[in-house]
Amino acid sequence: MANAKGLTETGNTVIGQSILISGKLSGDEDLTVRGRVEGELSLSHTLIVEPSGVVKANVSVKNAIVSGVVVGNITATESVELTREGRMVGDINAPRVIIVDGASFRGRIDMGEAEPGRQASERPVSRPVVRAAPTLPSRPMIPAPSRAMPAPQPVRAPPPPPPPPARPAPPPAPVAKAKPVPPPPPARPATKPAPPPPPPPVTVAAGGKKKVMLKKRGR
Amino acid sequence: MANTIIGSSIIIDGEISGDEDLVIQGTVKGKISLRESLFVEGSGVVEADIETQNVEVAGRVTGNIAASDKVELKSDCRVVGDIRAPRILIADGASFKGNVDMDVKER
Repeated sequence: MANAKGLTETGNTVIGQSILISGKLSGDEDLTVRGRVEGELSLSHTLIVEPSGVVKANVSVKNAIVSGVVVGNITATESVELTREGRMVGDINAPRVIIVDGASFRGRIDMGEAEPGRQASERPVSRPVVRAAPTLPSRPMIPAPSRAMPAPQPVRAPPPPPPPPARPAPPPAPVAKAKPVPPPPPARPATKPAPPPPPPPVTVAAGGKKKVMLKKRGR
Repeated sequence: MANTIIGSSIIIDGEISGDEDLVIQGTVKGKISLRESLFVEGSGVVEADIETQNVEVAGRVTGNIAASDKVELKSDCRVVGDIRAPRILIADGASFKGNVDMDVKER
């Protein structure tokens, strides 16, 4: 009976809520953790840590989606996402890191410095989506995001002309203003290889510059 | 109750313990202790000592099995190790090498 049940779900590994695995775990398929895994975990696919899941391990995967608890370092070849319920202590090393409002995280993040031309062209595809979620909180709560997401915030800080929360009266006006702000639009389209003479747009920090580029491409 | 499945491409080297059924389609080395049933499916390979309530083996097991209720060796399984359980079933076609001890005072 139960045997048949198992067979129907072939190919998807689930670590149930009451299960504890300690040691090394490796594989070439998606893994869903609802229980505990301790030690070392390496997958060539996606790791999903559900809210009841606890992973105390060094993790190396393609993608990781954390809704539970992870203590340890995660190295992902694609992306790491901390969802609203996710809690993590450790370092993240991945080209895309997504931290959603409500997630808690302590540690370092290394997205690998963007090489001027190429990596940038890879990123915008998914980034705008990533950014959109935290930027437009559907709920009225304003102070929450600043606390929950330490990483993206400083990037957002430099272009502060539109502080919508401050003035409730003219809400659409600042938004409209904000968009035309990046003034050099046709200068470097995505197709051009990185131009060696760095065009100094303003005295914006490296982080701020990146952000401007992203916005432009996202639209 | 939630069902735990170790998929066919997964390799675990270490210890697994828990209070629920476990289905193994992949490879597990080390030790398994459960309070429920263990199913080693056709593609499953276990090189571990096993302590559970029930065990059903259709794949390969190398190691000692101690079950508080029942051990069942299905027709295509290959088991090397000692088995201790009050009830032991060995189907036609199963291959087994080791000692059997049904003299366990359980039930």
